[in-house]
Amino acid sequence: MRHTILAIALAVAAPFAAAQSIKIAVLGPMNFVQGENHWAGAEMARDEINKAGGISVGGKKRTIELVKADTNEIQSVPDATNAVERVITRDKVDFLIGGFRSEAVLAMQEVAMDYKKMFLGAGAADAKLGENVEKNYDRYKYWFRITPTKAPDLFRTLMAVLGDIGNQVRTSTRTDTPKVAIIAEKAAWTEAIVKGLQATLPKMKMDVVGTWQPSAVATDVTAELSAIERANADIVFTLLSGPVGISLGRQMGERNMKAVAFGINVEGQKDEFWQASAGKANYVSTLDTYAEVESTPKTIPFVQAFKKRYGKAPTYNAATYDAIMILKAAIEQTGGMDADKLVPAIEKMEHVGTAGTDTFDKRHDLVWAVGKTSGIAVQWQDGKKVPFWPPNIKGMQPYKMPAR
Amino acid sequence: MYLLRRAWAEMRNEILVLPSRTLVLVWVVGLLLLPLAYDDAYVLRILTMTCIFAIFAASWDLLAGYTGQVNFGHALFFGAGAYGSALASLKLGVSPWLTIWLGAAVAALFGYLSGYLCLRLRGSYLSLATLAFPLIGLGLLFAFPDFSGGELGVSGLQRLIVGPTANYYLACVSMLVVVFGLWLIADSRFGIVLHAIRDDEVAARASGINTPRYKLAVFALSAAAAGFSGALLAHYLRVAGPSTLEVALSFQVVIWGIFGGVATIYGPVVAVFILYPLTEWLGSFRHFGELRLLIFAVIVLLVLLFMPRGLTPWVRDRVEAQCPRCKQRNSVWRKICRLCGAPLQAQVARAERLVGHQ
Repeated sequence: MRHTILAIALAVAAPFAAAQSIKIAVLGPMNFVQGENHWAGAEMARDEINKAGGISVGGKKRTIELVKADTNEIQSVPDATNAVERVITRDKVDFLIGGFRSEAVLAMQEVAMDYKKMFLGAGAADAKLGENVEKNYDRYKYWFRITPTKAPDLFRTLMAVLGDIGNQVRTSTRTDTPKVAIIAEKAAWTEAIVKGLQATLPKMKMDVVGTWQPSAVATDVTAELSAIERANADIVFTLLSGPVGISLGRQMGERNMKAVAFGINVEGQKDEFWQASAGKANYVSTLDTYAEVESTPKTIPFVQAFKKRYGKAPTYNAATYDAIMILKAAIEQTGGMDADKLVPAIEKMEHVGTAGTDTFDKRHDLVWAVGKTSGIAVQWQDGKKVPFWPPNIKGMQPYKMPAR
Repeated sequence: MYLLRRAWAEMRNEILVLPSRTLVLVWVVGLLLLPLAYDDAYVLRILTMTCIFAIFAASWDLLAGYTGQVNFGHALFFGAGAYGSALASLKLGVSPWLTIWLGAAVAALFGYLSGYLCLRLRGSYLSLATLAFPLIGLGLLFAFPDFSGGELGVSGLQRLIVGPTANYYLACVSMLVVVFGLWLIADSRFGIVLHAIRDDEVAARASGINTPRYKLAVFALSAAAAGFSGALLAHYLRVAGPSTLEVALSFQVVIWGIFGGVATIYGPVVAVFILYPLTEWLGSFRHFGELRLLIFAVIVLLVLLFMPRGLTPWVRDRVEAQCPRCKQRNSVWRKICRLCGAPLQAQVARAERLVGHQ
């Protein structure tokens, strides 16, 4: 009898409990690593907030309910827009976070703005998303980019790290103008960066000895590396998102090359990289977002908890955690969920997140600053991914050069 | 009153007399009345997309199904229409109501050029050559990013019309007009020539048909319809990006065509109306979501296994029979032909006995 009464009470209370929750849609390509990290970061934020009783909305505590939305955006842009429409109109979510492929996020942004829904991006880097806010503020003001920094700022980070590595090479090789070989996979995203490098490196007193463009899935880069060795390059600047990053790391080690590799190597960001490259990828370095360093006081506890829960380190898409925390701070500050009041609150906010300290410019993009939103750089040293840049962050370790 | 009586008589004698035509009528009326009964924004969005892709699928069928020019790169025309309309609208400031026609014209030009380059190719060689065209198109888009927007495409496009219901009606009416137009073309003398080219091009040429001219015309016509659908999608999403030319889209249209039944026009349309909402529906289940492509593939495989000519011919053969004398179609429950009065079932039974003797 007591069980029956309890069941009836629960059944009656359930709709009210559901009505009390704040619904957040996590949008991402859920069959891919980006979507997995979107979801994992959001789960961690949800559990942490709900464990503490929820978000205080005008004095009442409301828990978070996540809605997982597979946008399938890597394969289909229309699918991505359908997912946004579905979570807004069917699931009646209050906020949207996530997104990855810029072309798809632009289309998703349109649907979200049609409904005046706050959309906190956690994956797309293209500057156009923020330009929309500047051009038509009233329509696009509900968009904020939580991660990554926009593409031009990514280039600034690359140049800042390269400048530091260049100085070490100068000391080590006793040369004033280090030689840089650019190895960029054949893909549209690398083209603008390659052009920028060719224009910028001479101004940084570095010589560009050549540009090589292997396929993103190349399993052998012997020809490219032979040419780079013949050109006496000191630095191999990488722009690689595909498995070619593994081939490059392995073969540079096998050839015992004196040049050091730095740039973007997406495979190099993964914990499995050392094993995949047969333990040969010593000294390979790449930009990254998370490591067990004090980017902020929240970084180390977050990374450790993430590794414990999911068995691997988070990627930058896991900053959906920060997106939810920003929403929480804005909701508690304004005492409500009215998007028109949350927008100015977030615009003025300085949020200490797990990946950096976030402030927003007039385009609702992150304000770029070394050590705050620039991300970090890591190097593989004897099987460990060692963070080394920005050097002023506690926990950073020295960058190593191969013996010459 | 006279007109009403005549319309009713026409409907009774021409449409209600055949199950397939009755189904089409119910479907058209259902589509047009749907928003009055159920105006859910999400459902309307899915159906808007479905209508746009239905035009695309029907355009492929005219080229591949009727003419036998099996195109593995049909997304080129879709993308050409999307980019043509998007760039004209954004860079020249022309109204999208005009640029969608311009997009169709640009696609028609691409169709004509593709057809011209492939005139001497047949079968799998033609298919492989057409597969390369959208890849070349993608290469050109990335080669001139200042003009095409590169990897990101062209965004911030004007909408043709605002609101889910209005967009739905725009896509729905466009689909009905274009598909009916393509069906009329396929059913005309022009369509018969296309059949002849597909079945035996040498014989068609020997009969005095200028086959290259017909092939170029059908390439341009099919591309124009595909381009029109691409332009509609671009202005609906407000983005025209490289995804409009992706290989996956080219194969998607082939799957729709074969699933629904080639050389029918309506077959691929039915396929899109089944498969597109189905994949979306499967995706809405949290546990099915990640398996939706697998489930989709299994359904397509099963249909092709048990209905090798596609879904619509299979269904049609079960509800309609062909008169052995005049070759007109009748509903299966009729005993005599509705036009020539020839016995239907008896004829079939006798034919079966003859087959048994052999």
